[in-house]
Amino acid sequence: MYSGGKIAVNEVEAVMTKRVTTLIGRNGAGKTSLLRMLSTQLLPTSGTATIEGLDIIREAAKVRKIISSIPQEASPIGILTPYEQVKMYLIGRKFTNSDASRYAIDALEKVGLGEAINSPADTLSGGMKRKMFVALAIASDAQVVFLDEPTTGLDPLSRFEVWSAIKKLRSNVLLTTHYMEEAENLSQEVFLMDLGRIIDHGTVKSLLSRFSDRVRIESGKPMSESYSVGGMHIKYAPIDESERYIKDGATVKRITLDDLFIMRGVDLES
Amino acid sequence: MNPKFILHFSFYYGIKAIMRGPSYIIASLVTPLTLLFVVYILTAGKLVEFAVVGGMISLIASIGLQSAGDATFFRLQLRIQELYVASEVTPIDYMLAMTLSFLAFSIPGIIVYSLLGAYYGLYTIQTSAFMAFLIFMLILSTSAISFIISGLIKHVRNVWGITAILSIVMTVIPPTFYPYVDLQGRLGTNGLIYFLSLSPATPAAISAQMFFGLMPWNSTMFTTMIIFLLGETVVYFAIAKFLTRWREV
Repeated sequence: MYSGGKIAVNEVEAVMTKRVTTLIGRNGAGKTSLLRMLSTQLLPTSGTATIEGLDIIREAAKVRKIISSIPQEASPIGILTPYEQVKMYLIGRKFTNSDASRYAIDALEKVGLGEAINSPADTLSGGMKRKMFVALAIASDAQVVFLDEPTTGLDPLSRFEVWSAIKKLRSNVLLTTHYMEEAENLSQEVFLMDLGRIIDHGTVKSLLSRFSDRVRIESGKPMSESYSVGGMHIKYAPIDESERYIKDGATVKRITLDDLFIMRGVDLES
Repeated sequence: MNPKFILHFSFYYGIKAIMRGPSYIIASLVTPLTLLFVVYILTAGKLVEFAVVGGMISLIASIGLQSAGDATFFRLQLRIQELYVASEVTPIDYMLAMTLSFLAFSIPGIIVYSLLGAYYGLYTIQTSAFMAFLIFMLILSTSAISFIISGLIKHVRNVWGITAILSIVMTVIPPTFYPYVDLQGRLGTNGLIYFLSLSPATPAAISAQMFFGLMPWNSTMFTTMIIFLLGETVVYFAIAKFLTRWREV
């Protein structure tokens, strides 16, 4: 709960054990607050959690030794190079000077920043800046990495590059996103959040398999039992009814995590 | 404490940043050098030695105070502070690393004022050592104040105005450019001096004026000012550690 009384995260009970776990939800769903609590940046008003058996409240100092957390919209220090910033971070994590240099160069090359390693961060594109932070997490070799919306605001190509970098992480990863495609692409387990609560979870496959016999119908005209989203009408129907809707001028699409989100009762108009 | 991190951070964010962005140095030198010029003209050169010694104090204190801008920018805009919270870096490591970076920003100014001091014959081994002590204490205490300000600010844009005001109030109004005795007899014998001592520039300037032989030696006043400077450095740092929002609630 924030000082103004706003409850950001409430009654969350979850066990996250997969290599890449994703928290998905709309803006304000509580993803960032939950991630900041788990990464010891924000003190919860009540409740607790453990990471690798360490309590995030009582053993925060020990937790900080095994985690690395990349904040949402983090930006590099413009005047310094990616190499300097990654190395500086690793020195802060008590790497030796030579290890910090080596790990920094390795990680920056892994994410495709080898040629920009000594360019001031001000000269990097948005995608390259995000990749620098992913490199920072890779280089840290932390057991658990938290990535808060690592691709927000990036063009599709940059997003693919960041995904590729994330896949190179050896750590267990908890990332937040509101891009369902990102969750499908990267994670073994997905937790859906809305209004500070976990509303569903499972592997991407298991979540989608529940709706394997259905399709998504999109139309400009109202349909019975449809959801209205920004002037568009969305409905879920059995696959064998697709032909009928196509004849009416509607578009038929396969079910994605986006649809799961809508079907779980999230009021998108609000 | 992680001294290696503190040194690396200050090397990169202090020394390297100066080399890549020298305009900041010129900006930080403008006010003290302008005041030095004004003092020289208005007093026909009589108080220029006060201004040379006080100018160094004013420069260090104003750089320390203006660093609130960087501390706030790092916390709210770049989110660099959050990055370090979730690591082994402690708030003291982080604050000292930033502080030492700001000291690095001061190096060109220190050189200019040292040359001026040497020109006016103000520096001996003893006065140089004492000035080094004052610079160290000033950068610590004013950086701590800047962290206090930074911890209280919720929007980056507010910090620039606040630090500009504080920088003038806390480095020019104290007796940095004029003899401290001009303040005696106001608000009681030394009331105004003690009030202005909330700014670390005041005890630093008063003790320097005596140590450099610009004012008659007064053991009681000198000792009081040194205790003030040491005490407020500790107090400001303790408050900053508490307010720096390392782990937000």
